[in-house]
Amino acid sequence: MKPLAPRHRTSARTLLATGLITSLALVSGCAKSEDDTADKDKGSASQSEQGQVVASPSTGSGPTCSIDAYGAEKIDLKSATVGFSQSEKEANPFRIAETASIKAEADKQGVKLLTANAQSQFSKQISDVQDLIAKGADLLVIAPLNSDGWEPVLRSASAKHIPIITIDRKINATACKDYVSFIGSDFVEQGKRAADQMIESTGGKGEIAILLGAAGNNVTTERTKGFEDRIKEKAPGLKIVFKQTGEFAREKGQSVTENLIQSKPGITGIYAENDEMGLGAVNALKGAGKKPGAVKIVTIDGTRNAVQGIVDGWIDGVVESNPRFGPLAFQTLDTFTKGEKVSQDIVIQDSAYTKDNAKSDLGKAY
Amino acid sequence: MTDLTLGRVTADRERLLALLQEYGVYLGVVVLFLVNTVFTPHFLSTENFRTQAVQVAPVLIVALGMALAIGSEGVDLAVGSVMALSTSLLSLYLGYGPGIAVVVALVGGAVVGVANGSLIAFVGVQPIVATLALMVAGRGLALVLLPQLKDVHDPAMAELGSGDALGVPYVVLIAAALALLVGFVVRRTTFGRSLLAIGDSRPAARLAGLPVRRVLILVYVCSGVLAAVAGVLATARLTASDPSSLGNLMELSAITAVVVGGTPLSGGRIRIGGTVAGAVLIQLLTTTLIKHDLPPSWTQIAQAVVIVLAVYAARERGKR
Repeated sequence: MKPLAPRHRTSARTLLATGLITSLALVSGCAKSEDDTADKDKGSASQSEQGQVVASPSTGSGPTCSIDAYGAEKIDLKSATVGFSQSEKEANPFRIAETASIKAEADKQGVKLLTANAQSQFSKQISDVQDLIAKGADLLVIAPLNSDGWEPVLRSASAKHIPIITIDRKINATACKDYVSFIGSDFVEQGKRAADQMIESTGGKGEIAILLGAAGNNVTTERTKGFEDRIKEKAPGLKIVFKQTGEFAREKGQSVTENLIQSKPGITGIYAENDEMGLGAVNALKGAGKKPGAVKIVTIDGTRNAVQGIVDGWIDGVVESNPRFGPLAFQTLDTFTKGEKVSQDIVIQDSAYTKDNAKSDLGKAY
Repeated sequence: MTDLTLGRVTADRERLLALLQEYGVYLGVVVLFLVNTVFTPHFLSTENFRTQAVQVAPVLIVALGMALAIGSEGVDLAVGSVMALSTSLLSLYLGYGPGIAVVVALVGGAVVGVANGSLIAFVGVQPIVATLALMVAGRGLALVLLPQLKDVHDPAMAELGSGDALGVPYVVLIAAALALLVGFVVRRTTFGRSLLAIGDSRPAARLAGLPVRRVLILVYVCSGVLAAVAGVLATARLTASDPSSLGNLMELSAITAVVVGGTPLSGGRIRIGGTVAGAVLIQLLTTTLIKHDLPPSWTQIAQAVVIVLAVYAARERGKR
């Protein structure tokens, strides 16, 4: 670079820096978004949120775990510090509701909570959990990003006998040795229930498409498996003619569906493995000038927008995947730390939204 | 005797390669088009062309900005994040009306461009590093401003995203107009000429007295604004602002379109027609695989093959 007179250079830089900072300040200062009032409604409505209900009883059937078997010491949950490690960015409704539920329950119980968010980077989650342990967490609640690769964390946790509960996704390790228990939905079951809804809406005949989730994710494979198995078993008249990934995102769901309805105009139903892709499909159908209900759409998750889609007539059914792990997770920790037995696999019961209950249950959606 | 034949074969091969480099991308588009006409049901319909054109528009607009950056011997990795930032800003300012919101979104893109350009022109950071920094920062800022997906209800935005004039969607019209504008700027203006001179050899351009810093900053501002336009159009089409997924891997699609279109990564030359064809080629490729319901992993592999072919062509060009 050609040397410049220093004064000139400094002033140019200062000017730029000031400009950037001013514009940043402006950005956050006088923003005025479109529907502030609607958001407030949403805030108050979500007060009525529902905690999860256990599908399988917490003790009884299935293998259980007790504090002696795990090798930890009894502590009072009220005086304990709980560490919570969230896996993905809190950019989608599921993650937001999940973290909020854990925080709300910790507040309610008066437990000290440490939180960390791995921003969808697995290496960060590993160091997050190690940080939580170093900061003095007595109990851990982890929403794992991946199922594998937890050895280093589990080693340091078991050295300190810290009980771990994983929520929403499982980790590949030995229950009651490396972690206490897993609380989550049965994704295969969700796929089956989505299939039931699809069979009912379409009458069991026609050609249907699947918008797959992100590849290489157990949620995608299990929701696909459950759906395909149930269709094969119960409705041989329904043919799955199209399977493409929408990567769990609305935009991708929309562009894939646009291609789908042109190459296969006779499609009768679309199964979207999450709400966002389903809403993208609705956009595409609207764009193609279809009427609500012309193509049956079934999705999984139970976000507010999708349930609103049922009310508006575009979506036929939404199978819920309940993200409100707070109450159940703390209840499990409480039972466990008191010295009682807890189940190693706690499967939660997810409800569903259809035309019959969408309007009345809209407040329950997240 | 043997030497002579060999010489002629190499010459033919070289000429063929040169032709392929020059027109390969158009050939690719034509071949894919014909293949689809024969094998894909319902391919030759207005609706289908409309969909393809609408889907390719954002990538194309981003690729135009990327072509400018690459022509100046740089690269702009921040384009995807700029799209996310513009969608956040758009949503945040929509309360003032769509006009002002769009202006704010474009200004946001320009600000990122200024930051990129200053880092490159004044501080002397490598373009790939400077824009990488802004790529991370931009996405982060977008998510701070708008932590999650938010619906856009404004009727004007919906009209922009799905409306049309004389049967041609606005989105496509805007993309076409921008392609013509950028083509004109590169060929016929002093800015375009200086940009190419700088891309060819920055020291020579400086010695010739060109305002290197100013031009470089302007290049990244253009790229930022174009990416912001793409972000606005994508938001209008989706009728929702989704800063966490909008523009993901867009920088790669744009670079692919530019490189496949025959613009050398070494700078000094920009092919706008090729860039347009490159974007269309990738769109057709993806569509073909989706319409025939091939496994999603195939799409990625096919794209990789196209990129490798393009890079191979670029390597040959660099040698001569």
